Amino acid sequence: MNKVLLMGQANVGKSVFFNRLAGANVTVSNYPGTSVDFDKGRMLLEGKHVDLIDVPGTFSLQPKDRAEEVAVKMLEQEKDTVVICVIDASKVERGLYLALEIIERGYPVIVALNMWDTAKNAKVKTDVKKLEQILGVPVVPTVATTSEGFKELVSRMREAAPVAIEEITKSVGGDKSETHN
Amino acid sequence: MKLTIDQRWDLVDRIAKETVEVGTYKPGLRDAVADATVRPAIGIPFAIAVLYGFWTFFGEFAGLFTDGFFVRIFGTHWIPFLGEKLAGLPDWAFTILVGDRAVFAEGFGGDPCFAAGGILTTGLFMPFGIVLWAVLALFLMLAVLEDTGYLPRLASLVDSVLHKIGLHGFAIVPTLVSLGCNVPGVTACRPLETRKQRFMMIALLGVFVPCGAQIGMMEELVPELIGWVFLTLAIGYLGFGWVLNKVWPGESPEILMDMPPYQAPVWSNVLRKTWNRTRHFLFVAVPFVLLGCLIVMVLYATGAMDALASALQPFLMAVFGVPAEATPSLVVGFLRKDLAIGLLPIEAMTTYQVFKSVVLLTIYFPCLATFAMLLRELNWKEILYTLGFLVVTILVFGSILNLIGMAGGW
Repeated sequence: MNKVLLMGQANVGKSVFFNRLAGANVTVSNYPGTSVDFDKGRMLLEGKHVDLIDVPGTFSLQPKDRAEEVAVKMLEQEKDTVVICVIDASKVERGLYLALEIIERGYPVIVALNMWDTAKNAKVKTDVKKLEQILGVPVVPTVATTSEGFKELVSRMREAAPVAIEEITKSVGGDKSETHN
Repeated sequence: MKLTIDQRWDLVDRIAKETVEVGTYKPGLRDAVADATVRPAIGIPFAIAVLYGFWTFFGEFAGLFTDGFFVRIFGTHWIPFLGEKLAGLPDWAFTILVGDRAVFAEGFGGDPCFAAGGILTTGLFMPFGIVLWAVLALFLMLAVLEDTGYLPRLASLVDSVLHKIGLHGFAIVPTLVSLGCNVPGVTACRPLETRKQRFMMIALLGVFVPCGAQIGMMEELVPELIGWVFLTLAIGYLGFGWVLNKVWPGESPEILMDMPPYQAPVWSNVLRKTWNRTRHFLFVAVPFVLLGCLIVMVLYATGAMDALASALQPFLMAVFGVPAEATPSLVVGFLRKDLAIGLLPIEAMTTYQVFKSVVLLTIYFPCLATFAMLLRELNWKEILYTLGFLVVTILVFGSILNLIGMAGGW
């Protein structure tokens, strides 16, 4: 593994998140053939320098504008990578949708429940342990603006491993969507 | 295995049911502010206050550096110093590097920073003495507005006005970004969903929105005219937007915008953004400004400028009513509009002619960097139409302004 992709929807604090992880040596690159720019930096992972790429914000992997198209392409062209999926902790459902899509495609994922402080103020509480059990991937509450939770996030990145979506479905009682469709 | 969209949402629902607990939430001050600033009664005065603050900060910040430091450094030290030290150079080299010898001998008609004209004098003064500070101030303000979460609220406020011309309130975001620099402004059009919206927005930006570099030059040279220039451009933006929406096929569907909560900006993030954009400006703009100065001075030194000016004079006078001295501006307008404004023969024109020229230079061909962006973002048909649109606009605007001028006897 030599690359880390940072993915998430718009307005989940992803750019501040990126800056926390990437430190100072950030370059802005252009995705070939488009005018979509993305940031690229380096982060230290278990004593090894790896590339960290800030993928443009996307609501889902079914793109509806050019920036989102690029986000999907960037994911598809990376095979050997870990994806940090940044979720707004007060809008967990929305972010989970994207996280599930990435997991379905077979990528090792680690979920960051970002803006944890705002969620707490808004009285939205997520059972992190339980979410981890269900998803089978590490879930870490973070506050990018104060870098709370980042140490845990980085130290647990190696736990990220591909998970079969069937396992996740099973852990919440099997696929019932057919019955009320 | 891949899930269908329904299956996936169903799975999300069931995961959330087991893990997420939503308590009762008491709205606080932050929510009250968030709410008030999108309601027209409070939101519109608030928006005006924000934009006024934006403008004031821009003027004060840029003015402090330009008038406070750089006009003095260049005008009383650097330019006379070069004039003395390099006096031994052959005429052509002196003209290109330092400026017109006659101007130096006469002790400068106006401000030496502009009157000199050489690459090492005016060519350095414009980007580093004026434009850099204007652009820096605008980028800084934009980064703050972005990171606080105010921009989407501004967009929702102007939504109803912009809907009348087939644009969405979101169009205010690329427009504001373009006031810094048109290049990222064009990029900011990406979230627009249909080709029609993107084309319209990019064409309107390229034609009617002056960039920070130009605004900085206007603020320095013709501060008393800026209000009129902006008003004229705004009329053009809305009017031509309305026409384009009628004639260009395609749809302008509603865009759903996310309204993030207000947040205190993280300063390291704001500064990094500002720095990245400013750095980009320096790399893109400075070489073109220097190249523009070089071209103008070479044209002067070889006498080609005079020939070009007398060839263009009948056309310039008839259509736009500006004197032939404006030719150098038009020549470099293709490269950099800030330089073009700096080269306007302000002393040789009436106030109305200056106003007209500044408006026309803004509408005039987008600068080279912006044009390169258009090539990447639009297809050939759209580019040709944009250029056609530009020619029509400049002729229509030029003639109308000219007629108004004649009617008023200015």
